[in-house]
Amino acid sequence: MRRLGWTNGLLLLPALAWLGVLFVYPIGRLFYTSLFTPAFSLRHYAKILGTPVYAKVFANTFEISVTVTLLALVLGYPLAFLLAAAGRRASGLMLAAIILPLWTSVLVRTYAWMVLLGRRGIVNEGLQSLGVLDAPLPLLYNRLGVTIGMVHVLLPFMVLPIYSVMKGIDVELLRAAQNLGANRRQAFLRVYLPLSLPGLVTGVLLVFVTALGFFVTPALLGGRGDMMIAMLIDTQISQLLDWGLGSALAVVLFAVTAGILLVVQRFTSAERMWVRVP
Amino acid sequence: MTSMTRRYVLKMGVLTAAATAATQAGGPWLARAQAKQLVVCSWGGAYQEAQRKTMFQPFEKETGIKIVEASPTDYGKLKAMVQSGNVEWDLVDVGDLNVIAGAKDNLLEPLDYQMIDTKSVFPQVVHKYGIGTIYYSTILAYSTKKYAKGDHPKSWAQFWDVKKFPGPRTMRNNPLDNLEFALLADDVAIDKVYPMDVDRAFRSMDRIKPHVNVWWTTGAQPAQLLADGEVELATSWNGRIFAIQKQGARAGLEWNQGKLQWDSWVIPRGSKNRDGAMKFIAWSTQPKPQAAIANEIPYGPVNQKAFEFIGAQAAKDMPTAPDNARRQLMVDPVWWGENRNVLVERWNAWLLK
Repeated sequence: MRRLGWTNGLLLLPALAWLGVLFVYPIGRLFYTSLFTPAFSLRHYAKILGTPVYAKVFANTFEISVTVTLLALVLGYPLAFLLAAAGRRASGLMLAAIILPLWTSVLVRTYAWMVLLGRRGIVNEGLQSLGVLDAPLPLLYNRLGVTIGMVHVLLPFMVLPIYSVMKGIDVELLRAAQNLGANRRQAFLRVYLPLSLPGLVTGVLLVFVTALGFFVTPALLGGRGDMMIAMLIDTQISQLLDWGLGSALAVVLFAVTAGILLVVQRFTSAERMWVRVP
Repeated sequence: MTSMTRRYVLKMGVLTAAATAATQAGGPWLARAQAKQLVVCSWGGAYQEAQRKTMFQPFEKETGIKIVEASPTDYGKLKAMVQSGNVEWDLVDVGDLNVIAGAKDNLLEPLDYQMIDTKSVFPQVVHKYGIGTIYYSTILAYSTKKYAKGDHPKSWAQFWDVKKFPGPRTMRNNPLDNLEFALLADDVAIDKVYPMDVDRAFRSMDRIKPHVNVWWTTGAQPAQLLADGEVELATSWNGRIFAIQKQGARAGLEWNQGKLQWDSWVIPRGSKNRDGAMKFIAWSTQPKPQAAIANEIPYGPVNQKAFEFIGAQAAKDMPTAPDNARRQLMVDPVWWGENRNVLVERWNAWLLK
């Protein structure tokens, strides 16, 4: 890569200052608060390690986030493909349908699921009146409810980056592959999928990292076993006012997440072997 | 990751940060430039509407002190304001526990009792760092579709009795209230609840846990769940049930063994209009404004003389109406102040088990 000249470096300055003030500084404060409340000690971290409930909630958080990410990928990848392949008007319409919900508050979308999935909700009442069900299905206030709600909220973050990459893939390449003897499956797996991989990785990371910090949806749609770490952090920060413990929990979440991202990044740099970036 | 993807991620991150910053800017400090105004933070919703109509607006008219409203009360924000020295709120409506916690953390201004006439104010709500705004109760609520009034569970022992009173239930996702109710369900006398036998309370909670379908986290939930038919029995704050009854929901509430609590006004340390805040407190604690808000929303006045100005029907719906108060448990905020953090941790572990 060409080295950035110092004028180009100047162009970076506003963004760096912005990130410094709004990202680096607060995170630094978080570290500081987790260690120096009230005076320097590791006791908040010791508490997190020594109390099983925190490990359990971290495990919950990662379990839920992984499930949600995988489901969003399974739903989002074909959707993005459809979007990229569709004509201009159809794709415009579909894009609007995907983006519009992003402008609605998460709270509203979460309440909408309560109306749909409740014991007396539309789904259960409908299936019961059709005679499919005798008793309402437990669709809410359990892991299923959380998963449905979170996938719904996060799906656009999966679809949009994949779509933006797919849009740039020349479909003729698929035809060329088939022309050279690849069957459809091979053409997809060896040509299209690797080319769309950057979008897929971005989507997966965006959805996964956002899911880790989820708070409203699990609190409202979950059951007693679906506690996520952001809920505990909120309790410590804004109700119990134990900022030391709250910050330490946030730091642990931050560190684990950053660790995962680093691993993924190292792993996915392998994609360069397949994709020749023009 | 390719540089393209990395740029994309970065861009998304900045966008999110920008959106957050934009929503956080433009708070009360924009209006702060005018002199002599009083920034009051309360809980929003029907409660703050009632405060606006019966307290904020009349006070403004009487004193010329302009009130700027904020909501909802957020203890984390309050602490952050005081610690950063940028105190935007002059007066905050907080729960009873947070007067004690706030005083302990040195977040509050002591009240100037030279200015407040506390003669007829219930003494328990008068604290060096806060004074009661209203009383409310956590009570047993039920669907009148399922249980006719009179045939509903009338005690926590009956709430716990899932054979005689079947049906989905909701309770608060918090040790507050529930541990008291668990002891009452286990036949502990109402005057022997505090100091609580916590182990006994959790053992009692073990028995009801499998029958609780939803653990609510916000005050609107239990009322909503009852109105939707999602649950048939609930613990709830009394005002919320009254609100859905007014909208025609088939819900009822039982005062027996409810838990009486109160909200308090506190002044954050470093408030820019401490004097105005004190004036408001002195004014709003008096019988007439106290009666006015109680007539508007069924929360109990903290001033005993207010009952002279409250209609007979409204008085019956008050948590502090003598007939209702007599059958309830009074919160012990000091006990909770000492035990809350540990119990929240234990509660979460218990819930996940």
